Amino acid sequence: MTNKTTRFKPIPQEILEKSVELSNSPEVLLELLSNLQALPESLSRDNITYAARLLNIPAHHAYGVTTFYSMLSTETRKNTLRICDGPVCWIKRASAEEKHTKNVVDLISDTVPSEWTVERSSCLGLCDRAPAILVNDDQAGPISIGETKNACQGWKGVPTDYSIPRPNEKRVMLANTDQIDPNDIHSAIKFGGYLGLQTALQLTPEEVIAIIEASGLQGRGGAGFPVGRKWKFVSQAQIFPKYIIANADESEPLIFKDRVLIDSNPHQLLEGMAIGGYACGASEAYIYIRGEYVSQAQRLKLAIKQAGELGWLGDNIQGSGFSFHIHVHLGAGAYICGEETALIESLEGKRGEPRLRPPYPPTFGFRGHPTAVNNVESFAAVPHIMKNGSDWWKSLSTYSVPGTKLYMILGHVRKPGIFEAPFGLTLRQIIDDYGGGLQDGSSFHFALTGGAAGTMVNSSMLDIPLDYSSSQKGIGLGAGAFLICDNRVSSVAFLRELLHFFAAESCGKCTPCRVGTWRAYNLLCQMADNEITEPDIDELKALSENMLLTSFCGLGQSVPISINSALANFASEFSASRKRD
Amino acid sequence: MTINITFNGKAIQVEPGQTILQVARQNEVNIPTLCYHKDLSPTGNCRMCVVEVKNWRFLQAACVTQVTDGMEIETHNEKVTKSRKLSLQLMLANHPQDCLTCEASGECELQDLAYEYKIEAPGWGTKGTRYTVDSDPNPFIRVDMNRCILCRRCVQACAEIQVRNVWGVARRGIDEQIVAGADTTMLEAHCESCGQCVAYCPTGALSNKMSYGKGRRHQIKKVPTICTYCGVGCQFDFNVKNGRIIGVSSNPNSPVNGMALCVKGRYGWDFIYHPDRLKKPMVRQYLLDGKTKPTHYDPKCPDWGWVETDWEKALDITAKKLGQTIDSHGPNSVGVFTSAKCTNEENYLMNKFSRQVIGTNNIDHCARL
Repeated sequence: MTNKTTRFKPIPQEILEKSVELSNSPEVLLELLSNLQALPESLSRDNITYAARLLNIPAHHAYGVTTFYSMLSTETRKNTLRICDGPVCWIKRASAEEKHTKNVVDLISDTVPSEWTVERSSCLGLCDRAPAILVNDDQAGPISIGETKNACQGWKGVPTDYSIPRPNEKRVMLANTDQIDPNDIHSAIKFGGYLGLQTALQLTPEEVIAIIEASGLQGRGGAGFPVGRKWKFVSQAQIFPKYIIANADESEPLIFKDRVLIDSNPHQLLEGMAIGGYACGASEAYIYIRGEYVSQAQRLKLAIKQAGELGWLGDNIQGSGFSFHIHVHLGAGAYICGEETALIESLEGKRGEPRLRPPYPPTFGFRGHPTAVNNVESFAAVPHIMKNGSDWWKSLSTYSVPGTKLYMILGHVRKPGIFEAPFGLTLRQIIDDYGGGLQDGSSFHFALTGGAAGTMVNSSMLDIPLDYSSSQKGIGLGAGAFLICDNRVSSVAFLRELLHFFAAESCGKCTPCRVGTWRAYNLLCQMADNEITEPDIDELKALSENMLLTSFCGLGQSVPISINSALANFASEFSASRKRD
Repeated sequence: MTINITFNGKAIQVEPGQTILQVARQNEVNIPTLCYHKDLSPTGNCRMCVVEVKNWRFLQAACVTQVTDGMEIETHNEKVTKSRKLSLQLMLANHPQDCLTCEASGECELQDLAYEYKIEAPGWGTKGTRYTVDSDPNPFIRVDMNRCILCRRCVQACAEIQVRNVWGVARRGIDEQIVAGADTTMLEAHCESCGQCVAYCPTGALSNKMSYGKGRRHQIKKVPTICTYCGVGCQFDFNVKNGRIIGVSSNPNSPVNGMALCVKGRYGWDFIYHPDRLKKPMVRQYLLDGKTKPTHYDPKCPDWGWVETDWEKALDITAKKLGQTIDSHGPNSVGVFTSAKCTNEENYLMNKFSRQVIGTNNIDHCARL
């Protein structure tokens, strides 16, 4: 309990030291709290109150933020192991020991030294290293439950190597990853880095937007909104200054493309943002990167420093008069912050709750100013388009949607991982031509496409060409992830795991999502463990419909996508006549 | 300039820039709300006010959606009603089933909507077993977060009306909870006990401790009155049960203060029935006996003792003494000090009495603002 006199006591020196490099704007709250977490008392109520006083905000604000983000804890802890319970990790572990992730946490707690706190985490974005864990700030995997204790002694596992393209791949953003050193700007420049920005600076901002619009580049976050049109809105807005934000809060289960992009060539992201800034008339930019990607954030900071030293970022870039500054902002564990207005709220130091829309960020975004929020992959494509022209971008593909994108293929295929290819692939092509086919002895049961907020499809959808509009045919592309499951995976239990994720990540703002996800998860627990009854299915359908129709934001509105697709495509497995194992 | 919309099948003209809810209320259509309150900025949290707009993919929260030209709005069709019923069920699942004993019964907006939409609480849910009942030691405000439906009106009332920022939202998802400060007591979070949060709470989550259990809405008569404490002139309602004041509630039609009151206005009424309160005049024994004032004060001396008497006698003595003082020392030797415990009308009379009868401007009040 906070001492009654905390408000009058001088702020302790150690707390002042943790804030010394930060401004006293409320926007730095998340960073300040992360710093204070390293103190012996961690984020005690007293320390939270001190943080609030330092930033001149109400104590409830600091406490609300602390308890909102999963990586901040009010409990004192020395070391933390975060066990990913994303769908890929769950499948890998489910075949081994346990069906429920909560049991996995207990199992691991028993094997590791007592100064380690073990907790579940929503998908860590390490699906290619599943089963994955986060050892304090370090990414590790693949690691079995039994081996986890080794991670406490520094074992990290092996990162996946993507330097060699798969057969049939068409690499643009992933090109030359075998030769580019992500920590050295010169190697990026050797392969055409910052040529796109140089090209852009010789054009007018209107011409840059015209080229991006002509290229037909669609946002890679999942919705496919045209990048050029968004930039046009921002450039036309008459409020200054304007901002560019890269959404690197890659928290959608199955998705890890942004991490791979940053780890292989961070400069194309920075360059794409600078081009965006030039086009929109912005000179301040933020990369909002999820709190689980600490090493990627460090890599970006290094890249920004190097680019600044060579005059590709900072004031008066290459003598053009255009200035552009990029800041890296670490999140602290919240899926909802991938929603652009929640991201902006979080960037402003608040709870990551979505805003009312309209107004949309291009007119009312960060600090209430016009803001272009784009996905990392969208920005990464921009320099290549600037450098080679919109016709070249269109020529990469014979399909109606131009360009290439990154795909993630996961689950029971021979060669899981990431690859780059044009649009219009079918699920069958993705499995057979890129994923190496199903594993020996596996037969296709279902695939989750797009992410957790994606579709669960059966084999009838293997031959539908995929793009941002294919969700109307029942199979979503989303951010381009495909988890292939064979008959060992129960569709009911799998849906239960998805709902567990949504229930854990719902921000709690609106009733249908806050209670609906939780109730749907509990229903699915019953369904997976016991007999399925007709009223259960009716209730699940009603919850799903209500979430779709009335939820406040895209999170609640997209939960029904997976529920409805599962119920429609696997009706016999969700039928009352079928007894669960 | 007006725009044309179709509202529940009827073509009407409305001013642009209004929300669907505003249009509905102007047209006497009752769209249910829980998180919305006209005094607070709308948030669209509870999703009770959803309506169907033709050709829009999702139902829209009427409290935050502006009308646009050509909009076709249905406020009570089957789809909308079904959704409201389910959202109500979701709220009731974790809400205690204790209307029998709940202080708010009869003026609970959740109860009213459950009744209107004929909703029973579902068989699942925590039914309000998650938090400590009466969890805060605040002397005036009773907190039972089990009854909270997370509408956040308390948070907004505290931030927007009182600007104390005591209440906030903590945690997320199903664990979301309203907390004071860094999950401390209200007083530690700088609460000044104005009770605005209680006035805006649609359920029994926040209630008035002094009135708790003394009478519910259907048992009380609301008597509008003006607060006597200071010169602002806030209006509120005395809640009177069987001729006895059991509490104060905000009167939303108050011209000066609206729903807002300070701690004195809302909770400072307990003097009325306080056992120490003087209800009859008391005079010193020596005055009653017609003696002169003893030269030295001695509490043990019977002449100094206080004696209950009737008004006639007490006023006689007072008038005589005042008259003597004015005659011998002039009117400005007299000063009048009036009291917040009197009505404004009484205070006005004392003002007249001081200036016109005694002839002095020496008049003051304990709470002049």
